[in-house]
Amino acid sequence: MTRETLIERVVSAFRSTDPHGRIRDEPAWHDLDEAGRVEAFEATVIARAQEAALHPQGLSTTAQAVLARLGV
Amino acid sequence: MSLDLDVHLSAIAAGDAQAFALWLAGAEGILRGRLRSFAGSVDTEAVLQESMLRVWQVAPKFKPDGRPNSLLRLACRICRNYAVDEIRRAGRSPIELLDADAAVEVSAPDPLLRRAIALCREALPAAPARALSLRLDACGARHDRELAERAEMTLNTFLKNVGRARKLLVECLRKRGIALETT
Repeated sequence: MTRETLIERVVSAFRSTDPHGRIRDEPAWHDLDEAGRVEAFEATVIARAQEAALHPQGLSTTAQAVLARLGV
Repeated sequence: MSLDLDVHLSAIAAGDAQAFALWLAGAEGILRGRLRSFAGSVDTEAVLQESMLRVWQVAPKFKPDGRPNSLLRLACRICRNYAVDEIRRAGRSPIELLDADAAVEVSAPDPLLRRAIALCREALPAAPARALSLRLDACGARHDRELAERAEMTLNTFLKNVGRARKLLVECLRKRGIALETT
């Protein structure tokens, strides 16, 4: 995977869970160097602001993923 | 205008998930911003989601201190402490910590921004628009591999299209005089 596609994987709000239900790191995050991780963070900040602005309740995909884990 | 998200606190403590949704909508940007200094050391998305779940778990027993946004300030501490634990667990070098108890200011959503993003989204080329829609509709609950299959794209192409959509939206907003702040 290229650096660009690794960053896009990290920007996604999808995170798997371990057998205890704890949220796991996105594996692509570990394949990035520090600069790539920071770039992914900044891209995520903007992506979530866009998502929240588009959602009728102002919920980003992060917030929706968390609520889904609560069964909402 | 500054908001006090503690207006949702009693309902959250009573187990009202819709109230928690309203709280999350206002709190997420602040919490993510507080994790910026950890961005090179931990997967902040995983830390943030896990911290949000912990806030929900501790909310019924939480006693507010009477100042605005007390639950949000607690959430900032939970995020920071969890990030520090993750750094220690992975044996990474500690980082300089920001004050997790620093004042927080929550802003009201901007309806004009929503309209501008919707217009920019409508102007996206077909493939990036499709990839972005699948990402948004999945609500963070589906792996990109599954979304790529639905889009009939390879995973690599799907990810490139999501990235292209994201960049085109930023560019379109900039042309409209809107620069999304990175908090």
